[in-house]
Amino acid sequence: MDESAVVTAGGAGGRPAPGAVVRIRGILKSYKGQAAVRGVDLDVAPGEIYGLIGPDGAGKSSVMKAVAGVLAHDAGTLEVLGKVVDSEGSAERIKVDIGFMPQGLGQNLYPELSVEENIDFFARSRLVPREQIRERKDRLLAMTRLAAFRDRPMKNLSGGMKQKLGLVCTLIHEPRLVILDEPTTGVDPVSRRDFWSILTQLLRERGITALISTAYMDEASRFHRLSLFFGGKVIASGTPDELTALAPGAVVTLRCGAQAMAMERLREHFPQVEARGELLRVFVRNATDEEAAQRALEVLNGMDATVLYTGVAELEDVFIARLSDLGLAAEEGAGGEAEGAAKPGAAPILNAREANEDVAIEAKGLVRAFGEFRAVDDVSFRVPQGEIFGLLGANGAGKTTVIKMLVGLLPPTGGRGMVAGRDMRRAPREIKEHIGYMSQVFSLYGDLTVTENIRLYAGIYGLGKNESRERVQWVLHMADLEGMERKPASSLPVGVRQRLALGCALVHRPRILFLDEPTSGVDPVGRRRFWDILFQLSKRDKVAILITTHYMSEAEHCDHLALMYAGRIVADSTPERMKRELEEEAGRLLEIHTDNPLSALSLLEGAGFEGAALHGNNVHVLARDLEEAERRARQSLSSGGVRVLSVSGQPLGMEDVFVYRVLALEKEEKR
Amino acid sequence: MNLKRVLAVASRERREIVRDRLFFTLAFVVPTALMIIFGFGLSFDVENVPLAIVDYDGSAMSRDYTYQYTTSRYFDFQGMVRDERDLVPLITDKNVRAAIVIPEKFQENLLAGRPVSVQTLIDGAFPFRAQTIKGYVMGINSAYSAGLLADYLAQKKGMSRERALEMLQPLTLEVRHLYNQGLESDWSMAPKLIGFLLMVCPPLLTALGVVREKETGAIYNIYSSTITRAEYLTGKLTPYVVVSALNSLILWAIAIKVFDAPFKGAPLFFLAASILYVVCTTGIGLMVSVLVETQVAATLVTFITTVIPAVLYSGMLVPVASLDRAAQTVAHMLPAMYYTDIVLGCFLKGVGPRVLWKDVVVLAFYAAALFATGYFMFRKRPNA
Repeated sequence: MDESAVVTAGGAGGRPAPGAVVRIRGILKSYKGQAAVRGVDLDVAPGEIYGLIGPDGAGKSSVMKAVAGVLAHDAGTLEVLGKVVDSEGSAERIKVDIGFMPQGLGQNLYPELSVEENIDFFARSRLVPREQIRERKDRLLAMTRLAAFRDRPMKNLSGGMKQKLGLVCTLIHEPRLVILDEPTTGVDPVSRRDFWSILTQLLRERGITALISTAYMDEASRFHRLSLFFGGKVIASGTPDELTALAPGAVVTLRCGAQAMAMERLREHFPQVEARGELLRVFVRNATDEEAAQRALEVLNGMDATVLYTGVAELEDVFIARLSDLGLAAEEGAGGEAEGAAKPGAAPILNAREANEDVAIEAKGLVRAFGEFRAVDDVSFRVPQGEIFGLLGANGAGKTTVIKMLVGLLPPTGGRGMVAGRDMRRAPREIKEHIGYMSQVFSLYGDLTVTENIRLYAGIYGLGKNESRERVQWVLHMADLEGMERKPASSLPVGVRQRLALGCALVHRPRILFLDEPTSGVDPVGRRRFWDILFQLSKRDKVAILITTHYMSEAEHCDHLALMYAGRIVADSTPERMKRELEEEAGRLLEIHTDNPLSALSLLEGAGFEGAALHGNNVHVLARDLEEAERRARQSLSSGGVRVLSVSGQPLGMEDVFVYRVLALEKEEKR
Repeated sequence: MNLKRVLAVASRERREIVRDRLFFTLAFVVPTALMIIFGFGLSFDVENVPLAIVDYDGSAMSRDYTYQYTTSRYFDFQGMVRDERDLVPLITDKNVRAAIVIPEKFQENLLAGRPVSVQTLIDGAFPFRAQTIKGYVMGINSAYSAGLLADYLAQKKGMSRERALEMLQPLTLEVRHLYNQGLESDWSMAPKLIGFLLMVCPPLLTALGVVREKETGAIYNIYSSTITRAEYLTGKLTPYVVVSALNSLILWAIAIKVFDAPFKGAPLFFLAASILYVVCTTGIGLMVSVLVETQVAATLVTFITTVIPAVLYSGMLVPVASLDRAAQTVAHMLPAMYYTDIVLGCFLKGVGPRVLWKDVVVLAFYAAALFATGYFMFRKRPNA
């Protein structure tokens, strides 16, 4: 790819004032000959919240560490706060004004020290005067609502609290630039929102510039400007709107009786088609909403299809479109079909052993206690054969514990877990052979090749020689691993590796599949391909799939969802119904674009808009009556001297549902 | 160097060592426990050897001969055995380590002036132990032989038995062991164990302490801050030096109180030398920590780099002077040997800086070199 191919949207590259806080030109970095960053340009203007978005291994962390002066880069120029950083000595000069929070939730904090001692250490090591330490600490602790936990050892904090404490520690010396590496990964949506609102408020108040990375595409709206990272390069930069404009078009969501067939047909015309539960989602490029809907229906002519709604593309659509525009293969060996077709029609059926029982998985009041702590608290649900059932929640919400109890790895403290009508704890081997399980941790043997790994699993499940040979071929084909048979598993990109792991879990033709965070760290293209395979398995082969994820955006792919929070299920329904119910209860999302977002936020909060939140330059509020709300918002804003640039209604996401349900639950408990 | 920042790092580190159960155990419990375990276990005194005797003669003289063994403090008499063949299972299954077989006509032959050979069976599985037991048996046997000869001479020449013995051994050897009259193994082993443990524990603790920060990412707090390398290393390592210095006092007390080792030197000099030594071994931990990235690697590398030199090249088991030339050269290049000199000098010989100053200078040189290297290799903006 040549330099000119990296288009910077809307000429954003030239926009930042000469006083750029960060200025990067052609940075290169490799580890032991493996290139991690391959020529990145970046400018961050003062006061900006700048986002780096991309999958694991895209080079975000390396760039951030280089900017923080804690990693030597190989080539290129780097200017931070007006100073060139090219040696250990020059890096030292910028550190007075920098706050850096490395990746890993609370990993950089000291577990044995209390909240207050942690903050004190950061402050004292920065030589903050005693008076100021006390004043800032009080203010920050109050703001983050950690004041009540001053004396609690850091190791006993929840994920969200650790993250906020990390933020306080990073900000205690009032840096001019903060660099936060994936601060929201693995945090539950409620804490995530909380974190964003605290962060934006703090940064605005003090005029701090921020460089923040994230793996969640749906956080893009939080940034003023952002860069999409892929394979060590920036594939696009600009404001969220500018990025969306890079791939103009409309997304059509439709329902069709013969979903699988419709999907195949649409794929022939549109590269970006995906199944979401029982619906289909098509990205039609260079088309208005009406044109898009019409073109999709034309393709499906003669099939019983109805368009439910059309809308703008999400950042993930843009990301994928951008990759194919630039001719970048998302994964090694994926070639030109980065669009994510899981070889329609090619995957032979799992020799489906007849799927007669309807309920494949059933949890009845499952409880798992570790001492006082209830990791899983009265969890019940059913998964019929042929359904993709999503268990959604943050790290530590209890998802993995539920799966472990269901597959018989962990005895429940109370309740029962039934699989194929049997209690897994006492299930005979035949039943256990009907299930496939892909654990969260890397379950492959890195030094074995792709084929050897599959053969090993075939051997473990006692497949005969012929059958095993046949299944190896099937897995290679199904997971699109042809041409990579002899590669060691450790050398594969994350997305490919996860497909191989899935193949290994399927080698013995199970009818019930348990997948624990299979798409964590996989890029959007890889994630879509993975979901395509799951779709085929569930719809064509009637495999029941129980899957966990902390990507809220992935939830929409499931037929049925259960939201988990602190060991409990807070909502259990189809994604569509969940959103619809929330709309009925709380209303829709109103996005308000103003010339002064910070005062707009406080004005709107003052005007009684609960849960108003800052997203980049916009404020989001929930409102039942959109027109009435818009009128009220405009009124209070103009009386406060804030100019309203635009107001628009936005569809709700799964995250909105999650946050709303959890907050409602918490409120109920307080009563 | 800003003292406030050093203090910030040091006080945080102190809190973590004290509060983290694993670190606290490693810091204080492990050295003490190892001192006790090794102190009692690593004794080279061979005493109370389980012994069985076969007496085919059953005469007054054979009983008298047997008596020489059963009353010796070196042997623990397990009983008489009827038949030689019954000895084998005793040695293989039971704990009998040595046996004496007295032949028939023992008394008859001796009285007739014919030579008699007595058989002894010794378990050779542990050569060092077997050699010592053989020495005991030979000693008792030759004393008994000399006694017989003296009796004969006394009878023939009409002199006293004592006079006859003197005539038989015109040259006797008067042995006096300096510094450790009783050749108590503990007297020398307990002090040397201090050197061993202070060579192994401080580096492990230090390396784990630094590498743990690398593993969690907490090291980035240091990298991205204005703390200088010197400030960080000083603040980070001081608590470990203090912990190890305390340990040297604890181990010193154990050597004296539990193992009854005499301490004849100047306590202050010993303390000063010990602090210098732990600074030196803490430096080894620092070196390891800048070279590796994980706690597992740190543990492994520290063990390899400290345990082997501390056992083989320190003079703990075999005196350095008895090593071959190549091994002696290695021993001189490593710090453990010099501290062994200091320990033995202070405990047993009661000598002070006048004699041991050279060892102190070498240790100081080591400490300086290790810290300087560690300092230059530690990077706040590393390459990976």
